[in-house]
Amino acid sequence: MSQMTGASSLVASLESAGVDVMFGIPGGAILPAYDPIFSSSIRHILVRHEQGAGHAATGYAQVTGRVGVCIATSGPGATNLVTPLADAAMDSVPVVAITGQVPSVAIGTDAFQEADIRGITMPFAKHNYLITNPADIPRAIAEAFHIASTGRPGPVLVDIAKDALQAMTDFKYPTSVNLAGYKPKLVPDNQAILDAAALITQSSKPVFYVGGGVIKANASRELLELAQLLGAPVVTTLMARGAFPDSHPLNLGMPGMHGTVAAVTALQKADLLITLGARFDDRVTGKLSTFAVNAKVIHADVDPAEIGKNRFADVAVLGDLKNTISALIPALKAALGKNQPDLTPWLRQMNSLKAAYPLGYDKPSDGALSPQYVIERLGKISGPEAIFAAGVGQHQMWASQFVSYENPRTWLNSGGLGTMGYAVPAAMGAKVGAPDTTVWAIDGDGCFQMTNQELVTCALNNIPIKVAIINNESLGMVRQWQTLFYEGRYSNTSLESKRVPNFPMLAEAMGCVGLSCEREEDVDATIEKAMGINDQPVVIDFRVHRDAMVWPMVAAGASNDDIKIARETAPDWDSQEL
Amino acid sequence: MAQHTLEVLVENSPGVLARVAGLFSRRAYNIERLSVGPTADPSISQMDIVVNLEGHALEQVIAQLDKLINVISIKEIVPNKTAPSVHDTQPDYQN
Repeated sequence: MSQMTGASSLVASLESAGVDVMFGIPGGAILPAYDPIFSSSIRHILVRHEQGAGHAATGYAQVTGRVGVCIATSGPGATNLVTPLADAAMDSVPVVAITGQVPSVAIGTDAFQEADIRGITMPFAKHNYLITNPADIPRAIAEAFHIASTGRPGPVLVDIAKDALQAMTDFKYPTSVNLAGYKPKLVPDNQAILDAAALITQSSKPVFYVGGGVIKANASRELLELAQLLGAPVVTTLMARGAFPDSHPLNLGMPGMHGTVAAVTALQKADLLITLGARFDDRVTGKLSTFAVNAKVIHADVDPAEIGKNRFADVAVLGDLKNTISALIPALKAALGKNQPDLTPWLRQMNSLKAAYPLGYDKPSDGALSPQYVIERLGKISGPEAIFAAGVGQHQMWASQFVSYENPRTWLNSGGLGTMGYAVPAAMGAKVGAPDTTVWAIDGDGCFQMTNQELVTCALNNIPIKVAIINNESLGMVRQWQTLFYEGRYSNTSLESKRVPNFPMLAEAMGCVGLSCEREEDVDATIEKAMGINDQPVVIDFRVHRDAMVWPMVAAGASNDDIKIARETAPDWDSQEL
Repeated sequence: MAQHTLEVLVENSPGVLARVAGLFSRRAYNIERLSVGPTADPSISQMDIVVNLEGHALEQVIAQLDKLINVISIKEIVPNKTAPSVHDTQPDYQN
């Protein structure tokens, strides 16, 4: 035990928690902490906006599986973290946020830069702390990292009053954490595993409905073994892209609002959903009362509140998914030994749908660049090890559809909260976590204009990410809805981003290489040029067709049975044996 | 709809009432009656929460309450029993 300031105790605690990098901006209330940070082994990356720090911590965490850390001052510094922390909560990302707070005697007086960030983040943070006694700092930090990274991961905020950072205290980092109210159940009950295995052998139309939890639990290898053991089709949600190889013949692709016909139909027609770390989100189920009406449900998740939340579970398996799937494999082997269902007709139906309705797109008749083509080429040229972070909107859906994901933790996006502006800072965090891997931000021109300031951070800190702006000079997804549901009345969705700003010049001004491309024949060469630049961030302005739309589509609130493959075009169900 | 009483043991820490009340509010459930008092252990308080919920909604409230880190345990007092029996509705759930 040694005497030091609360600030030094904070930094020593972060070091003890194994933090190697954090993203942040100093300010008045957190300033005492920045003095020991100056001499700490922890790399601190000075971002340009606290939102960037939060998303960078998220990107880092999603790529490495470790806890991402961001740090900000009180008041506006802290409130600027709200969006990324809400984002991390929705996508179950382990993030710890440290914020300075006004001195404890000033709390509640509307002091300069005072905001009740603990109260503000209470609705969505997995947990949060307000520390006014310096002796509490090591325990709070240890608990924050434990809570953020175990069970269902999530964001934890530790708000520390300035006087607690300044006062002298004893530093002793706890060797273990014991919380009476937090004991996640990680090992599934054996009976639940046996029930699940038995239900699977009674099914002739099973589907693996795979969510982001499989990636969080590092259970991709186990999933591959389980899926091949049963030989049932697999669908990977937006958060689970890469959890199961896209190239695998059992993979039907992404389900949901912009899912493949095969994946959506597999869920609709299944007699059993083997749900692994997914949460029956409305973007997957469509109108819930018409979702998979004939299916029984096995729901395996580490969060008990998810089981039965939106859909009744016939068999609930509570536990860490790596443990769950590992236990299910021998149980299923034994059960299949007694009763091997014939899945051949079901697989034939699904493969027929997959062949009849592959993802595709029409190239614009006027010769303008197709956004889907650009994204497809980005995936092909960058290869299966590359990491992609997307913003939110059409480009996000195309990046999910037209890049083939073979590995977990190579696809980052804001799935739950739908945070425009996520891509650039998340890619920055991802590149810090995986410096030897190619990291692309696939961004829209709308998203890019929300958070591109972090390219300055990238340029100055040797974080050479690559950014592909899919510039359709519109808030494209909103425009698509206006086309489909608002009679083409394009209220406030035209960004005019082919006139202003000049993205390559903006990139150059921020210390990046700026490139531009608007012809199909130049796409490969431009991407390859960007791939060759590894000492600087690169931004490519892909000037694409404005009216491209994301298909297939299930309209919001509609039944998945009403999936459309193009405007007013349903799949030809009569030609399918279902 | 039957009234159910939840006996919730919580850590006696600042903000815990706001956490519990906020959870009911943001998940659109009503609290019929709420009382908070000490227990023999000064580090633990007891909240008695009366809700007009049953079935799935009641299970969800309990499961979501249980996720609050400061919530140690939840017991549901079964109504319409002469000697109120106490049972843990979520034996398999965390805690």
